[in-house]
Amino acid sequence: MACAVARAAVKPESRLVAQGLGRRFGARWAVREVSISLAAGETLGVVGADGAGKTTLLQMFAAILDPSEGACTVLGRDSRRESKRIAAGLGYMTQGFTLYDRLSVEENLRLAARLRGVSDTDYGPRRSQLLAMAGLSRFTERLSGKLSGGMRKKLSLCTNLIHAPHLLILDEPGLGVDPLSRRELWAMLARYRETGVATIVATSYMDEAERCDRVLLLRDGQPLALDSPAGLRAQAAGRVFEVRGADLIQSLPALRALDHVRGLQVLPDRVRFQSRELASSPPIPGSQPAEPVLEDVFVLHDTATEPDIPAPTAPVTLAASGLGLMTHDVSVVFGGFRAVDRVSLSIQPGELLALLGPNGAGKTTLIRGLCGLVPFTEGQAQVAGLPLPGQIAAVRQRVGYMSQRFSLYLDLTAQENLAFFASAYGLGGDHAREAIAQATAQLGLTLAPGQLVAALSGAERQRLALACAILHRPAVLFLDEPTSGVDPLARYRFWWLIRSLAQAGMSILVTTHYLDEAAYCDRIGLMHQGALIGWGTLDALRVQTGLPGDATVEAVFVQAIAQATARTGATV
Amino acid sequence: MNHRRIWALMGKECRELARDPLTIGLAILMPLVMLFLFGYAVTLDVNDIRLGVLDDDRSPASRELVDRFTASGYFKQSHTFDTPRQVEQALQRGQVRVVLVVPRRFQQSVLRGEDAPVQLLVDGAFASSAALALGYAEAIVASYPAAPRQRIETQVRVWYNPGLRSANFVVPGLFAVILMAFPPLLTALAIVREKESGTIEQIYASPVTSAEFVLAKLLPYAGVALLEMALLVGVGIVWFEVPFAGSPALLAAASGVYVLTTVGIGLLVSTITRTQLSAMLVALIVSLMPSFLFSGFLFPVFTMPLMLQLYSTLVPASYFVEISRDVVLKDAGWAALAPNLTWLAMYTAVVFVFAAWRLRQKVAP
Repeated sequence: MACAVARAAVKPESRLVAQGLGRRFGARWAVREVSISLAAGETLGVVGADGAGKTTLLQMFAAILDPSEGACTVLGRDSRRESKRIAAGLGYMTQGFTLYDRLSVEENLRLAARLRGVSDTDYGPRRSQLLAMAGLSRFTERLSGKLSGGMRKKLSLCTNLIHAPHLLILDEPGLGVDPLSRRELWAMLARYRETGVATIVATSYMDEAERCDRVLLLRDGQPLALDSPAGLRAQAAGRVFEVRGADLIQSLPALRALDHVRGLQVLPDRVRFQSRELASSPPIPGSQPAEPVLEDVFVLHDTATEPDIPAPTAPVTLAASGLGLMTHDVSVVFGGFRAVDRVSLSIQPGELLALLGPNGAGKTTLIRGLCGLVPFTEGQAQVAGLPLPGQIAAVRQRVGYMSQRFSLYLDLTAQENLAFFASAYGLGGDHAREAIAQATAQLGLTLAPGQLVAALSGAERQRLALACAILHRPAVLFLDEPTSGVDPLARYRFWWLIRSLAQAGMSILVTTHYLDEAAYCDRIGLMHQGALIGWGTLDALRVQTGLPGDATVEAVFVQAIAQATARTGATV
Repeated sequence: MNHRRIWALMGKECRELARDPLTIGLAILMPLVMLFLFGYAVTLDVNDIRLGVLDDDRSPASRELVDRFTASGYFKQSHTFDTPRQVEQALQRGQVRVVLVVPRRFQQSVLRGEDAPVQLLVDGAFASSAALALGYAEAIVASYPAAPRQRIETQVRVWYNPGLRSANFVVPGLFAVILMAFPPLLTALAIVREKESGTIEQIYASPVTSAEFVLAKLLPYAGVALLEMALLVGVGIVWFEVPFAGSPALLAAASGVYVLTTVGIGLLVSTITRTQLSAMLVALIVSLMPSFLFSGFLFPVFTMPLMLQLYSTLVPASYFVEISRDVVLKDAGWAALAPNLTWLAMYTAVVFVFAAWRLRQKVAP
């Protein structure tokens, strides 16, 4: 009887049905109370910050993780008991490496086909079609370990499409992929959607979420909302405002004073915020309604009570001011690999520059070079008024560096971490106490004494790491992916802190793989395969690439990659 | 099990292995290094023991006794003492290991057919070589023709290793220990590496079953282990001049069963650990150490306490140490090997099932 039911459900209307799905690791619930039904041809976006439970949810959907509560029926079968049968009709592209580096493109694809029972007659045409679509036809003999990040992701997608699955699950497909490859990836997905495949995509990019039919917003494992992107944006309609004009900073106290104002975003040319009350008139004079985006929905659902923007404090006084940063054709070469390729840029005091690019584009290596952590193979740089190569030790006293992983000691308290970093910069006694007091006040950091860093939230660690990096009041500050993995509100607040440090005269270089964040910065630099393929204000870059004045950062980036490729004549 | 999937996975394993020269190099080199190290270091032969003599009799009879010691080849006279005090000093400083003390009137007693006591002082700090030295010395003294007296003559024939060469005994045992050391170490990384890189999730989310996956890992690595075995046997015969009495085909077949066991243990370790480092440590502890101590490779199992004897039955190397010595030295046939081979085959089956069960095909239970 059960068998007959299962057989009847081979071609179900719903590709996936989840009811009250939850998963617990020890005492902690990673995901709770997810109920959803997905039809053929539908694309579902799962959106949330790092640690929101996206991967856990996807693993349950892919039937490789048993739920602790609720049930999940995938392709008409129970995910707990029939995972191997589900697998035959499933494509699951995980976040990390999904390919065997020592196998060639062709071998990886053929392995995937054989493991999934694709017959030789089916394999030939599908292989050619997929490789052509991914632009990999010319590279079939290349080892996958030698492909670029974008090509790897596209090949991964091919290996998960070779058996023509009914359900495709993709975990952060855009991570580590340049904007051009990301577009191609989504073009491939769009074509497969027409064949009726249902797709689930986990992402932290709002533009990827916009391409989905429905979006599930996830925070701390709890579903916040499930609707179409337009439907979600409608929730925020009439609640989003912005203030433009010269005296942006002056308007901040007035906005802070209003209880119903949330999610203050301080951009160079405007302040954007939300109102919890659906007001018919603008909340403050001069504010105008703004177009809502998906991220606004997150903010609306945020119940955090911490003020969005800490009260202004006395600005820091820098140890050495008015110095900035300048590089001339610097390169970092590892073996035959140019991790940083002839980069020339400059940052003025008080200026905020964002380096944009996917993981692996060379952003971190460039910063490490500018901190004197990696020697430049070629070129010269002047950092905080000192030459590199040359005065590495002196440079390190004048620069602050916050690394991607927030280099904090998890088993020490916040105060102990601060005291350690103060002593590492040669600050002792009253100087150290004063520096710590000033840095924590500047960042609005209130820390319970005796609490270990391991117990702090991601957003708290982020600010603590920033405090540690500015104790010695550096003239130049490097922030490597400081905003990845935190909630929108925490991100807005963090950008405001960065802005206030710039106003004190620091030259700040921030890397990010979120292209939207370019909006917070005075100028942006576009990095692609080690080279800086464009830098300047966004408007200037639009002009350079010949795009209209309302072109998105992504469009500018894609165009810049095309132009750079045409210039060098290189194809890969 | 689907043979097409197994072949595809095995092809992938072989390609990956073949394109990793470092791993292949280590897989071939390390066993040889270990063979040479232990082949030379673990020698139980005792030659040229430094002998001191305190001869108070100074007679032809006493000189003949000393000559018999030095002529045996086991002893070399390095010191002659005049006083007991010198003897004590030399023993303490380790200048001599054995001292022969011949008292006055030794010749007189011998000629009269009376008891003629001599004293042997042995440095017992090195217990095992001291015991051997003592054995040799006693044999020499006993064979000294004290008097024309009827004695039982023993005709000693040592079978299988007539020269009592250590190498003949150590090297075949080393085959078992080395195959238990490196193949599991190599294989322990095989699944953990896929766990660390994340490729294993692709396998979980594919129709491949855990038994297929484990089998496809087992066979290629067993092939590498067999290659190691061939190399070890070759070097054992050519370099260490171990006589090969038995049938090479029989040893090859037995090795085939044994490497499946050792590689299977490595895979089992791989399924229960999360990082490559812990996999290596666990592999060393569960495979190399017990096989060194409890396999009978150096220390005979039958002299151990009962509990340890029982424990040694859990050590697969203990079966193969016997098999290897039986074939190489004793020319044993199928019938003689059958019990040990059966145990090994059962061991392999249990390890395989357990490894496949451990690899539950889910990210977390």
